[in-house]
Amino acid sequence: MLSLLRVIKFAFQDMARNFGLSFMTVLILVLMLLSINTLVVINVLTGEAVRLIKDQIDVSVYFSYDATDKEIQEIKSYTQSFPEVVNIDYFTREQVLEQFKTQHVDDKDVLAALNELNENPLGATMVIRTREPKDYAKIISALNVPEYENIIEAKSFGDTEKAIGRVHTITTNVEHFGYALSALFAVIALLIIFNTIRVAIYTQRIEIGIKKLVGATNWFVRGPYLVESLFFTCLSVAVTAAVVYFALRFLEPYVMVVFQKTGILTNYYLSHKMQLTGLQFIAVLFLTIFSSLLAMRRYLRV
Amino acid sequence: MIKLHNVSKHYSRDSKALDNVTLSIEHGEFVSIVGQSGTGKTTLVKLLIAEERPTAGEIEVGGWDITNIPERHIPFLRRQVGVIFQDFRLLPRRTVMENVAFALQVAGAPHQRICEVVPRVLDIVGLAHKVDRYPHQLSGGEQQRVVIARALVHRPKILVADEPTGNLDSVNTEEIIEILKKINEFGTTILLVTHNRDVVNRLHRRVVTLSGGQISSDEKEGKYRL
Repeated sequence: MLSLLRVIKFAFQDMARNFGLSFMTVLILVLMLLSINTLVVINVLTGEAVRLIKDQIDVSVYFSYDATDKEIQEIKSYTQSFPEVVNIDYFTREQVLEQFKTQHVDDKDVLAALNELNENPLGATMVIRTREPKDYAKIISALNVPEYENIIEAKSFGDTEKAIGRVHTITTNVEHFGYALSALFAVIALLIIFNTIRVAIYTQRIEIGIKKLVGATNWFVRGPYLVESLFFTCLSVAVTAAVVYFALRFLEPYVMVVFQKTGILTNYYLSHKMQLTGLQFIAVLFLTIFSSLLAMRRYLRV
Repeated sequence: MIKLHNVSKHYSRDSKALDNVTLSIEHGEFVSIVGQSGTGKTTLVKLLIAEERPTAGEIEVGGWDITNIPERHIPFLRRQVGVIFQDFRLLPRRTVMENVAFALQVAGAPHQRICEVVPRVLDIVGLAHKVDRYPHQLSGGEQQRVVIARALVHRPKILVADEPTGNLDSVNTEEIIEILKKINEFGTTILLVTHNRDVVNRLHRRVVTLSGGQISSDEKEGKYRL
C-alpha cells in the first residue's frame, strides 16, 4: 500500500516536473483522438446522406385499369411476403386519378381530354420500398413473370433497375472507402501514440537505470509510468470529448441546412457517448501502457 | 565478505574483461583496485552488483552466492551493497533530499524512518544545508557526496566506489576520500576502484592491481604500481 502511494506520488511529481513533455504527450493523444472523431463524424454524415438517397428510391407498380381487386390484392400479398420489403403504399384507381388531376391542374387540355373519356383510364398503383437498394432487383424479377403480364402495365422497371444499381454501387463504395479510411487513421494513430510514448520513455532511460541501480524493483520503476499512462489517457479522452461535443454543436446549423433535419450529429454523439468515449479510453489506455512497457523493457535490463 | 573464485567475464571470444580471478576481501577492509583502462576494474564492480553475470566462476557477497542470482533478487542485493559512480548517477528531477530518500522508498521504508535517517546521513556528508537543491545546482564534489549519502542510507556492509574522484578536483577528491575513510572506520568494507595514484599511495591500505583481466599483484599495504 505504501509502495502504491509512493508510485502514484512519483508519477504526479514526474508529470509536474516534466511538464513540457507531459503536455506534448497529452496534446498528441488529443490530436489523434480528434482525427479519429472527425472520421466518426464523416461516417455519420455519409451514412445519413446514403440513407437519404436510399429513402428516395422506390419502385412503382402500375396496374392495368381493368385489373380486378382480387388480382391486385394477390400481387400485393405476394410482394409483402418478401422479407426485404419494408413498406407498400397502395393507391386505388380513384386516388391515382385525383393525384393526376392535381398534378395537371394548370393543363386544361389534359383535363378536358380526361373529361371526354367519361371514365377513369388510370389503373391502381403500388409503391414498394425495400431495406436495401439491391433488393429491388429481386422484387422486380419476382413480379416480372408471365402470370402478371396482363395485370401489371408498367414497363419502366428496366430504367429503375439501372438507377438503383448505380446508387447501390455508389453507396457501397462510399461505405468501403469509409472503412478503409478509418483503418488507415487507426494505424496512423496507433503508430504516433506508440512512438510518442517511446520517445517520452527514451528521455528518461538514464533515470530508469539509476532507479534500478539503487535497488528499485521493476514494478517500482514501471509503476509511475503506468499511472502516468492512465492519467494521460483520462485527460486526453476527456479533453477530446469536450472539444468534439462543442465542435458538433457549432457544426449542427450547417449540417441542418444540408440534411433538413436537426440534431443529426449531437443526437448521434449523445446517444453513443458511452461507446465512443469508452472505446477510445480502452484503446488509448491499452496503447499507452503497451508502449510504455515495451519501451521500458530494454532500459530495465540494468 | 566478498569472494571471487576463478571468475571470468568474456564479452566475446576475443574480449576477456576478467580472466580466472580469485579474490577474497574480509569484513572492514579498505581495498583499492587499480589498473590501466580496460583491465576489468569496472567489470568487477558490475559483477558485484549483478549488472553483469560471470561467464565462469563463483561470486559471493556477504555470504550470498550471487553467481546466478535471479532477476527478482537483484534489487535486494543492491540495497545491501552501496555503489558510488564516477558520473554520480543522481535523479536529475529530484532534490538532494529526494535522491537520498529514494533509496529508502524503493525498499518500502516507512515515512518516519526516512525522515530520521536522511537528514542524519546528509549531515554526515556535510550537505544538511542543501537538501532542497537539485543536482544541477551542486558542484561535482557535492553531487558525489549526495551519492555517498544515498549509498549509506541502507547502512550497507559493503560500499563499492567506482572512480568516485574521477571527475573531481584535488580538494574535492581529498574530501571524498576522507568521508570514505570515516565510513570504513564505522565497519563498512570499502572497495575503491581508482586511477588516482596519489589517493592510493596516501591510503596505505590493501591494493589489488589488475592487468589484462587478471590480478597481477595484491599487497596488504600497497602502492600504486603500473
